[in-house]
Amino acid sequence: MRWLASAGCILLLAGCKGDSLPKARVLPGDDNPHAQNDECKDASKDPGRVTLHRLNRAEYDATVRDLLGDTTRPARDFPADDHGYGFDNNADVLSMSPLLLEKYATAAEKLVETAWSKGHLRTCVLEAANPEPCARDILSRFARRAWRRPVTPDEVNRLLRALPLAQQQGDPPEMGVKLALRSVLVSPHFLFRMEKDPASNTPRRLDDFELASRLSYFLWSSMPDEVLLQAAEQGRLRTPEELEAQVRRMLADPKAQALVSNFAGQWLFTRALDSAEPDPTLYGAFNEPLRQAMRQETELVFQEFITGDHKLRDLMDAPFTYVNDALATHYGLPPPGSATPKRVDLSGHSERQGIFGHGSLLTVTSNSDRTSPVQRGVWVLEQLLCSAPPPPPPNVEGLPPPVNPHMTMKERMALHRSLPQCQGCHRMMDPLGLALENYDPIGRWRLNEVSGAPVDATGDLPDGTVLNGGADMRRFVKDDPKLPACLTEHLLTYALGRGMADTDHCAVKEIAATAEASGGRLGDYILSIVLSDHFTSRRGDPEAQSP
Amino acid sequence: MSKKLSLSRRTLLRGAGALMALPLLERMVPGTARAAEALPTAKRLAVFYVPNGIHMAKWTPSGTGPTWELTPTLQSLAPVKSDMLVISGLANDAGRPDGDGHHAAGTAALLSCTKAFKTEGTDFHAGISMDQVIANHLAQQKATRYPSLELGNDAGRGIGNCDSGYACPYANNISWAGPRTPMAKEARPKAVFDRLFAGVDPGTTQAQVAKRRAYGLSIIDFVREDATALQKQLGATDRRKLDEYFTSVRDLEKQVDALGQQGPACGVQVAPGEDEDPRTKTKAMMDLIVLAFQCDLTRVATFMLANARSNKVYGFLGLSGGHHAYSHHQFVQSNFDALATIDRWEVEQYAYLVRRMKELKDATGASLLDSSLVYFTSEIEDGNAHIHRNLPVLLAGKGGGAVATDRHLRAPGVPIANLYISMMRAMGVPNVTSFGADGTGELAGFGG
Repeated sequence: MRWLASAGCILLLAGCKGDSLPKARVLPGDDNPHAQNDECKDASKDPGRVTLHRLNRAEYDATVRDLLGDTTRPARDFPADDHGYGFDNNADVLSMSPLLLEKYATAAEKLVETAWSKGHLRTCVLEAANPEPCARDILSRFARRAWRRPVTPDEVNRLLRALPLAQQQGDPPEMGVKLALRSVLVSPHFLFRMEKDPASNTPRRLDDFELASRLSYFLWSSMPDEVLLQAAEQGRLRTPEELEAQVRRMLADPKAQALVSNFAGQWLFTRALDSAEPDPTLYGAFNEPLRQAMRQETELVFQEFITGDHKLRDLMDAPFTYVNDALATHYGLPPPGSATPKRVDLSGHSERQGIFGHGSLLTVTSNSDRTSPVQRGVWVLEQLLCSAPPPPPPNVEGLPPPVNPHMTMKERMALHRSLPQCQGCHRMMDPLGLALENYDPIGRWRLNEVSGAPVDATGDLPDGTVLNGGADMRRFVKDDPKLPACLTEHLLTYALGRGMADTDHCAVKEIAATAEASGGRLGDYILSIVLSDHFTSRRGDPEAQSP
Repeated sequence: MSKKLSLSRRTLLRGAGALMALPLLERMVPGTARAAEALPTAKRLAVFYVPNGIHMAKWTPSGTGPTWELTPTLQSLAPVKSDMLVISGLANDAGRPDGDGHHAAGTAALLSCTKAFKTEGTDFHAGISMDQVIANHLAQQKATRYPSLELGNDAGRGIGNCDSGYACPYANNISWAGPRTPMAKEARPKAVFDRLFAGVDPGTTQAQVAKRRAYGLSIIDFVREDATALQKQLGATDRRKLDEYFTSVRDLEKQVDALGQQGPACGVQVAPGEDEDPRTKTKAMMDLIVLAFQCDLTRVATFMLANARSNKVYGFLGLSGGHHAYSHHQFVQSNFDALATIDRWEVEQYAYLVRRMKELKDATGASLLDSSLVYFTSEIEDGNAHIHRNLPVLLAGKGGGAVATDRHLRAPGVPIANLYISMMRAMGVPNVTSFGADGTGELAGFGG
């Protein structure tokens, strides 16, 4: 978050001159749809390449849950994953380290012992005199699921070498089998999602199992289930019809909850609520139950977009939400008479419609002791319009002017416009945030600032449009033609686990257009991505070819 | 909060660290022959990082050389003043970003003095950090189970950009094993403790130790074969990812191979609790570093009080704003005061570590601090203008006689890489004559 600290202008922004919106940082291009069509007509169909993807902590936990029935979330003991391009499933920044491998080895031993003692893995009886047939059965079944693909007899033979080792050490055959099971869980075939590189730069279609894993880790953050694995084994994932059927089935599964916690949690910044620390003297109303209720609100609303019949852009002004009594009171809504969140109709409370009325988002884009129109504005530009101001030019360090603590928020923001080097970008960022000034740093409705001065929730856009409060602002964002492509960009970044580059521009536009044409629901976006070449293919590594 | 470590066969078989836990066996049992054995005299390094710079007006001592006085921010160092070297003026120009991103770029360069490649993820790379150069050197002696420990209070916020187009690994790691390999850090004291001490069974025989070693090595052999076969099927970028795996396998192999190796005495320890209060957590982390040194489990440790650009609210210090927000002080006095309050608290935590190190004695009866280096710094000087010069630098300990302490050394504009060259040499790394982007030789005045 680039603007975290600033009421003053910290940065000299060179890329935001004139009255036009700043150009997209990641996907530069003309916003005129006709120009785009021409531009993309002859665009190459480069699906890009995804770096070897280590399972992140959420994926590891979900995978061992589905593989072994283990719900202890062993990855809580692993070091935190870094994130890139806004998501912690970015393959480029998911590194392996000695500490992590040590944790994997430790977790594998514990997982295997627990599962073995529960009898989950013992599909046959290991006879002391001739344990091999049963061991072979156990290990080939397990490795197929853990490695998310068929295993070769040679691979199973290698696993079986643990049996004579156990015998040498005077242990029963089950010790050998457990040792082999642990090896399966420490193997790179388990810890990484393997996609082999083609020998040339020419893109190739993923094989059935690579595709099955992309699908399951996108929608479930977990391994393919038996239905999906069998579809891959039977070669059925090659038709769009089957892919669509699988997507619909998988989105209806409770495991699709992973999209809420892992995709939406990062896209909508809900995860940052965990570390939000509103000033207790000014905002003592914020407490742990409220923190939890705010998180649940955004999660439940997004959840409804996964399976419900809402257009994705309706997130901007959805006329319903989920609140418990505490959160309803916090918002000034009638309490639903429940300590757990209930779905409530907002037709009479337009100020709470859509995500800009959510306490979660309003809190995480505020400073601890005051609102930050800059952070709120930048959030909209980055997460919804993909038009974040470009970073300032090299070797520029601007010093902000002193701020008079008695100024109103509007006056403070006006300072940005008094400085030529600041105003270009702030003219876009500030009004979007100022229009939300009726929401205090913990998301309560207010008519006065802390100082007592009346809130001025008008924001003047560069083209002369005046946003009068949150309702105007969300309509403006919802109608922005950049919204569909930006939603696509974030979703595709998450789906592929890689950042978008200029070369992805046309594919993003195309996926967005297809999704909107099919109804514009989250499911339509997901399906449009899954059926795209970006999702179903990869190209080789131009840097060097395999030896 | 805390509970006694329980030692049972079950934890041995199933607990964390079980692959390699047995060497602790005898160390953990008071009364055995080894329990009387003292800590060997050896070089040790601890690094203490704080984010967002320091308010230097209340930090920099006025005197120079041996005539210097502690400033308000450094007051908690009074009991160890004679062990301190304060250095002013050092610069880390490699920490300057392309455009904005001073915190991430400064942190990636903190110990590596290498410019981080600007990217949000793809092809991120910086350079090896000096603590890892030292760890690699000390690992050749095979004296400790872990070449180094990486600790920090922050797991990370997990959303958005980490810093203006710079990838999060830059902002969240000061320790780098190589240009593309940040050393992931532990952010939970309990997990650190479990790694170091859990899974120890005093009733285990040498035969059982040998068996565990054989089993552990068999897993390592298997997965290494997998990785070797895979190499041939991957492109260059993916092979680099797999290289990280190979490196990690080699490290794990060394640990398993050393099963049963003897170590110095180390009594039964008490596990820390799960507490996110920075006061409790920081103290627990400092205690773990001291404990790891005391048990000779490692000789190199780095600690990040918070990740780069942390906006932590230090409510217990009576502050309501975030640290990063204050650091953009805009020359407002109340912001300076808040920063000085945070700085003072940070130095107190560091002082606690230094004092604990001073209390510990090695086999010769000398303080551990005499042979060690305990280093404190931040990725920038001033947080408002993001200055990468005149960095706040504290060094405690004599490094076995290499450091002349109880002084304030001024070295305006000198590359901080030169300090690192001196530190690496003090730690015994031979033949270091250059380091990072601009290290050209030893820091003049380091040894007096």
